[in-house]
Amino acid sequence: MLKVPYVTNYLTEHFADDSFATVAGYVARGGYAAARKAITQMSPDEIIGTLKGSGLQGRGGAGFNAGLKWSFMPKQTDLPKFLVCNADESEPGSFKDRILIERGPHQLIEGLLIGAWATGSEKTFIYIRGEYAYPAECMQAAIDEAYQKGYLGKDVMGTGFSHDVVVQRGAGAYICGEETGLLESLEGKRGQPRKKPPFPAQYGAFGMPSTVNNVETFSHVPHIIGKGADWFRQFGTEKSPGTTIFGVSGHVVRPGLFELPLGTKLEEIIFEHARGVPGGRKVKGVIPGGVSMPILPAGMLDVPMANEFLRERKTMLGTGGIVVMDETTCMVRVACVISYFFRDESCGQCTQCREGTGWMNKIVERIERGAGSEEDIEVLGDIAGKVEGATICAFADAASWPIQGLLRHFRSDFEQHVKLGKCPFPESFEL
Amino acid sequence: MPIITVDGVEYEVAAGRTLLQALDDLGVLMNGVDIPHYCWHPKLSVDGSCRLCQVEVEGIPKLQIACDTPVKDGMVIHTKNDRVKRAREGVMELLLVNHPLDCPICDQAGECKLQDYAYAYGVPHSRTKEPRRAAKKRVDLGPTIVLDQERCILCRRCVRFCREVPGTGELGTFGRGDRTVLDTFPGIALDNDYSMNVADICPVGALTTKDFRFKIRTWFLDEIPGVCTGCANGCNIFIGVANNKVYRYVPRRNDAVNQTWMCDAGRMSYKEIETADRLTGVSVRGPSGALEPAPLSTGIRVAAERLRRVADAKGASVIVGFGSAHATNEDLFTLRRLLSGLGTEAAAVPVVTGKADALLVKAEKAANGSGARALGFAEPGRVIERIRGGGADAAIVLGHDLLDASFLGDTADLARLDTVILLDSRRSDLERVAHVVFPTRHAAEKSGTLTNHAGRVQRILQAVEPRFESYADGEVLHRLGIALGLAGFEGDYDVRAVSREMARSVPAFAGIDLGSLGGEGAVLAGSKGEGER
Repeated sequence: MLKVPYVTNYLTEHFADDSFATVAGYVARGGYAAARKAITQMSPDEIIGTLKGSGLQGRGGAGFNAGLKWSFMPKQTDLPKFLVCNADESEPGSFKDRILIERGPHQLIEGLLIGAWATGSEKTFIYIRGEYAYPAECMQAAIDEAYQKGYLGKDVMGTGFSHDVVVQRGAGAYICGEETGLLESLEGKRGQPRKKPPFPAQYGAFGMPSTVNNVETFSHVPHIIGKGADWFRQFGTEKSPGTTIFGVSGHVVRPGLFELPLGTKLEEIIFEHARGVPGGRKVKGVIPGGVSMPILPAGMLDVPMANEFLRERKTMLGTGGIVVMDETTCMVRVACVISYFFRDESCGQCTQCREGTGWMNKIVERIERGAGSEEDIEVLGDIAGKVEGATICAFADAASWPIQGLLRHFRSDFEQHVKLGKCPFPESFEL
Repeated sequence: MPIITVDGVEYEVAAGRTLLQALDDLGVLMNGVDIPHYCWHPKLSVDGSCRLCQVEVEGIPKLQIACDTPVKDGMVIHTKNDRVKRAREGVMELLLVNHPLDCPICDQAGECKLQDYAYAYGVPHSRTKEPRRAAKKRVDLGPTIVLDQERCILCRRCVRFCREVPGTGELGTFGRGDRTVLDTFPGIALDNDYSMNVADICPVGALTTKDFRFKIRTWFLDEIPGVCTGCANGCNIFIGVANNKVYRYVPRRNDAVNQTWMCDAGRMSYKEIETADRLTGVSVRGPSGALEPAPLSTGIRVAAERLRRVADAKGASVIVGFGSAHATNEDLFTLRRLLSGLGTEAAAVPVVTGKADALLVKAEKAANGSGARALGFAEPGRVIERIRGGGADAAIVLGHDLLDASFLGDTADLARLDTVILLDSRRSDLERVAHVVFPTRHAAEKSGTLTNHAGRVQRILQAVEPRFESYADGEVLHRLGIALGLAGFEGDYDVRAVSREMARSVPAFAGIDLGSLGGEGAVLAGSKGEGER
């Protein structure tokens, strides 16, 4: 089991208490009041309006306005509508959804109920990554209890509203975290993203109108509906309101989870909350939001962790998974690890991604072995450019950006490998 | 209708179509407007994965894939500017990174879209130093198809074909990223009635047919447009010919008839051309009672004398004619004229039936049953009754379908006749009762027209010279007409002239003759055609 966050806020403040994962414990802390209020006192439009007004950005990586996404669900339709909760947390460096499921499953269920009421959805599929066996158990236990106590199923809390929640476990593919790859996998098909349009709101799970949101996104919803958009906006920045759960890993003294307002400076997270780099070594580079987000060099740690600031530095918040690398780190090895991951996880349908991820990985591995050339570095950058933005889904971007980031800020690491004919960082982590 | 501008040229296109569909509808795709593509196929669902058909659409920042971009009025598209060119070069380079480049021993060479597009849209040098992906080179997918996984570019046309056309779904892709391979699902063979189409739609040398692979380099083949004669559907084909030998049939697109497909049985029917049981010469029953080889002139003379004798003795009404549903409209029209000239109207055509499917295969196992009916040939029942009742003394018989159990079953009834004139391309029991036998041609060996189940008249053009002595049925009948001194039979047999005469004298064929027919054929007056698909 994971340790609960070192720094907590509204999402995680009760996570140290085991009873919070039970209906009684959750209700004792005001749980399910927001859902009751939503279903009995608010129209779907009011909820969506509140959510839009709160400025809640999707916490799955793309940062799309959640209320706006909900508003895309067709209102006039005879088709059944579905919610899909993306719990396929697979981005290396990210481990926040797991704690939200293990320690706050009813908070998530309450978010789902509000989402279901607002979008008119009759059922939620929680698609959880295959490796999350224990979180899946926790989730199922909470769902079972919620059914028992009348918080799910027919006539939820005596409101007349009905909603079902089903847990579907994945089989271990990163691409099934892409929302349409997830839908295909959910339907029992090979996990390959769909071309868009149509978007899930028109053609989602099993061809029905669907809204797909991340675990954390749904978990914020009860707080926003319960306490209002203005309350929510006291946290975070103007453009990126609320908190998020940063997951810090790598070369830090206190790796773990930290629920902090968006806009918290990266250096504050690393040096205050995660207590800095062990052994008094210096930071070399930091991945700010899971390995698909371009790396930041030590000189940019003053960036506030919100998309509007990160974008200026050609990177993004992603999933908030922060990976800190100290001065011993070989950035070519980092490129090897990341490119291997994306090569392994590409679904293989689009040409650029299928072939480009493999080619990039082969080149960086050759450079690391000391068998690379100046031209290889050029070709690497060129392939990364060709792979980006040219495919069905954003996976190819996710594979391209880290390489582009490493070349942008640490090109000299690559050049040194070429010049020396070997890796110049003997103390770096081993491949 | 929306108007779009492609490279400065305006096109009026159908609403609701994608860019590639709209250009394909107009017949200009890769024929004036070159947007190379791999995964897109006009008769399959859109996949959007090969990414080669990217074009620039004004007002949209990213390049768009033409296969999945709906047309909009006023849309301005660029297909050959530098940006598009670079994007294509990028895709082609990446497609070749792991391709084995074994073109010298690849059966697809010469008709390979990877070769063609690499030549037209690729970069002339390689930047890759890495070892290429190794995968299985000879995967036996089933009775008809062999897969080379290394050559496969994973366009998955074949996967979609099996799911969407025959609905059998044997194929899938397995593994991820650059380890993805095409294969059949475990324990399943690619085995359906349309399996060989996957080799046609495979743009590279990954899927080849066991029948054709390694038989000949494709660039030696002449592709002659023809029509499959396996059933009444009349699927349009190209007959692949080299050195006067037919190597294969492949489907030729005709959206009304067969879209872009054909069944495996039809595809393999080219083997009938060189079958061992072809009739290879004229023969006449001699004094000993056996058939003896004879020159054509003798066969014609003897046949004419026997027919004349029978007609003179009992009147022409004792002569009956059985056309063949495998014969062309021109052959059958000539038979009709000959019988009328002799003074008999007893003309029937036996059409053998079998299993049909919902896709292409029709129950009538002959290409021209509809043509025979349009030309006034009856079902054989009455004529057979007449023979059995002693009301016939002579028969002109085209083909041997009459022997099918649904008609005569055997030769006993014909054995009672004074004269049986047989025109056929293959040996059969009919030889036992025939007095004169004329060897006739396979459809690939002659020109003419055939009328399919829906009344669509389609032309066939002679693809090969026959290897044996043989004649178009129409030519034998024409010579017989001359020998009998019948009106309207004179000069050399000219199938085009016969076709024109048919168009003039048979109302259903008005305006439809061999010389004027296009590649799509034309529907007989009064026929419904195939209707909407």
